[in-house]
Amino acid sequence: MNNKFDALKDDDSGDHDQDQGSPKDSEKEKIEDEDKEQNTSKKKMVVPGAGEHPLQYNYTFWYSRRTPGRPASTQSYEQNIKQIGSFASVEQFWRFYSHMIRPGDLTGHSDFHLFKEGIKPMWEDDANKMGGKWIIRLRKGLASRCWENLILAMLGEQFMVGEEICGAVVSVRFQEDIISIWNKTASDQATTARIRDTLRRVLNLPPNTIMEYKTHTDSIKAWEDFHGLVNASGGR
Amino acid sequence: MIGSLLFYVLYPFSRYLTTRRSETSKKGLPHAVVKGTAVWDGGAVATRRFTQSLQDQCLSQSSGTEGQTKERMKELSPEEEEEDRARPDTDVRQLLAALLEEKENEPAVMISKNQSGVEEKEADVRNGRQQDKMDAEKQKGEEMIVRVDVLHKKGNPADGSIFPTEDNHSEEPLGEHLKRVQTGEHMQEPTGPVQEQMQILTLKSQTCPDLHGQHDERAGWHFRVGPGLSEEVYCPLWQFPSASYYPPVEQLLPFEVMWRVWEEMEECTNAEKTLPFINPTMSFTVMSYNILAQYLLEANQELYIHCPLEVLDWSYRYNLIIEEIQKWAPDEVQENHYQEQLCPFLSQMGYTCVYKRRTGMKTDGCATCYRSSYFSEISLTELEFFKPETELLDRHNVGIVLLLQPWVTQGSKVKAKASPLCVANTHLLFNPRRGDVKLAQLAMMLSEIDCMVKSCQVKGEHCNVILCGDFNSLPHMPLYQLITTGELYYQGLPAWMISGQEDLSHKTHCYRLFAPLWPNSLGITDNCQYTAVNDLFENQNQESGRFQYSHNFMLQLRYCPAACVRPQDLKLIPGVTDNTPNASRENQPCDKRFRHSISHRLDLKSVYRHILPGSGNSEVTTLNSEVGATVDYIFYSPRRILTTDQKAGGDFVSRGLKLTGRLSLPSEDVLWSLKGLPNHIFPSDHLSLVAKFQLDLNAN
Repeated sequence: MNNKFDALKDDDSGDHDQDQGSPKDSEKEKIEDEDKEQNTSKKKMVVPGAGEHPLQYNYTFWYSRRTPGRPASTQSYEQNIKQIGSFASVEQFWRFYSHMIRPGDLTGHSDFHLFKEGIKPMWEDDANKMGGKWIIRLRKGLASRCWENLILAMLGEQFMVGEEICGAVVSVRFQEDIISIWNKTASDQATTARIRDTLRRVLNLPPNTIMEYKTHTDSIKAWEDFHGLVNASGGR
Repeated sequence: MIGSLLFYVLYPFSRYLTTRRSETSKKGLPHAVVKGTAVWDGGAVATRRFTQSLQDQCLSQSSGTEGQTKERMKELSPEEEEEDRARPDTDVRQLLAALLEEKENEPAVMISKNQSGVEEKEADVRNGRQQDKMDAEKQKGEEMIVRVDVLHKKGNPADGSIFPTEDNHSEEPLGEHLKRVQTGEHMQEPTGPVQEQMQILTLKSQTCPDLHGQHDERAGWHFRVGPGLSEEVYCPLWQFPSASYYPPVEQLLPFEVMWRVWEEMEECTNAEKTLPFINPTMSFTVMSYNILAQYLLEANQELYIHCPLEVLDWSYRYNLIIEEIQKWAPDEVQENHYQEQLCPFLSQMGYTCVYKRRTGMKTDGCATCYRSSYFSEISLTELEFFKPETELLDRHNVGIVLLLQPWVTQGSKVKAKASPLCVANTHLLFNPRRGDVKLAQLAMMLSEIDCMVKSCQVKGEHCNVILCGDFNSLPHMPLYQLITTGELYYQGLPAWMISGQEDLSHKTHCYRLFAPLWPNSLGITDNCQYTAVNDLFENQNQESGRFQYSHNFMLQLRYCPAACVRPQDLKLIPGVTDNTPNASRENQPCDKRFRHSISHRLDLKSVYRHILPGSGNSEVTTLNSEVGATVDYIFYSPRRILTTDQKAGGDFVSRGLKLTGRLSLPSEDVLWSLKGLPNHIFPSDHLSLVAKFQLDLNAN
């Protein structure tokens, strides 16, 4: 089980072929361990510098990558999901962003995640478990621009849905790229509709672009069905 | 030609034969056949039978199945052949026509041809070629008259007794005659073309029934036009008098033609059919009309030399214009070249009018009028495209962008509201060489619309858009593409090509478009949005106490010194780079690709398709002595069904406008058959565009 994070967020179910189904519980511990580790290294909460433009929320960049062809091992997990860093102002955001590779230049099966500080980019996180996400599949070549537009809108509070937004993900895949934005409450249709409309606006999407909303419970179920793990996981 | 020569040469001979023939016919043939022979009552069957009987008589070859008729023709004895040729050539052709028709459709030749004939005429009216046809047929009709006379003369000596009964049978024939002559002409060629013609006829007849309905009940453009078309093409009441001269037309009844018909549209997507609910809707009609300012008419008289003087008179044109407006009773009228006189009139009709006069010395302008009972104004912007500080924008064109709230009232109470409607009307620069100016003017227009749409979005409302007017650009040319596809790559395009009004590719020197199309100082981005809008956004939102930042604002900070410092403890993991941020390098990959295009994010579709169905001719919205083309448009936000994931609650959302009807446009030749524009029917050198839309109501 080398790519838990990957699997947790993936919608294209064909991607889970490598999964070896190692015990979940040990993984969870791993995550918690890692969180502890990272939290200790960044114990202090980030704050905006003097004269900087504060953001409404602090955010954290994450990066994950699936190692192709490698057998699952707890050891490879660390290579799959990494915290890049957290920021609290527009200037700090650019500081990270400018030192990151554009999604369009990434190779292989990798993802950038940008989530509010304290929310893990996983379905099971308390902030996410009742939530869902809007998914837009992009043909190759568009990811960099769309991702930038998306996160600028998110950081700049353009969605205007209160506390609802959890984070955003860009997934680089073989033939297409996928961007998605996660929110807290999947059942809140007014919010999801508003997010969708804002997405269309900020991404300058053509009107016929297909946008899909998927609840995380559905994603989890689909993932479990695919891997036949319903029993093994003891019901999440 | 040969036929007619032979006719003269062999006339005496044929006369002899005719005599003989009628003698034989008296003996054994049915009565009708005799009459058919003598007067050409148009009965194809009769003619054929006659041939057959002739053959029976002369060649003593009884019979043969119908399929062999053609061969039998060849078998005619020299004598008969001569006789056949001796008749006027129509005669032969008719015979052939009759034979062929019969082969194609044996049992009901008469009936079906008769119908299709009528239908053909009507279909022609629809296709807008009627006048040409009519003229042609008039000529044919006259030719026919001559021939009928000849035949009468031939018949006369043979059997005088034919005439008394003749009238009964010749009641329906002219249409028949004409048709047969027409078909006859095709008959000279092999059967291929004939079959084509037949196919066309059936095709047309399919469209006929509904046309018929419209003819009777509603909706045409009913006008009096001189000698009636119906008399010319289909006229069951005409009688052939016993005299051998064609009778004068008894009475020129005023008669109505539909030059333009109302086309009902049913845009229904599959997705819509599956909608689990039906929203209450309201319908409204939009008319866009360039009514041609009188001073422009007078200033450009060379464009209107083809017109009778009286139709150029303003009061004459004015009356026709108001007649037209009243006829279609649109809920919104958008006019170019609005005149003071129209305003009181339209106000009286219940319209609220907004008028923007062109800047400079021009006395014309744009007007948008809407029915106050259905719409209320939310906001209004009058645009002037003349910007003295911008060299490019030195032309005095204007536009109006109006944001309306459609509603349904019951008494004084508002019963239901619909999404706001942004109605924009403009008249872009004419100059065919200045595509660059047109694009800049259009960009200003689109930015203003965008601004209105955004102001609705801030309130969480969707805003439908109607953009119309005279764009002085042809369909599918770059300017049109920008509107309908939302994007245009302009780098290196010749400026004349933007509108495509004239093909100036032969000019050795032509101005080409290069970035930037307009200076930054204009405050309009390549996305046809105001740069200022974002700031406005920001200010507005800061009041709400949240840290909100616009896209542009955040971009400005991208390379500020604080943002270029590498974060402490940033590990060099995959996805992280150790490059130092560099404005000049970073900018390139993203911007370069998009720099040479302009775009907008309004979803717009044209009401008209610009090509007439069937004939494939281009629609025209304007015509003068130099050019006939489509330059006027109504663009609208089309209905889109947005389906969200079923599991998330099966949320179907439909928005946009549903086009439910439009007033058809004619082709250029039809307008020339009316002596061009303006004329006694259409008072401007442009035609009005009329479209009907349906809008979902939100229950209130």
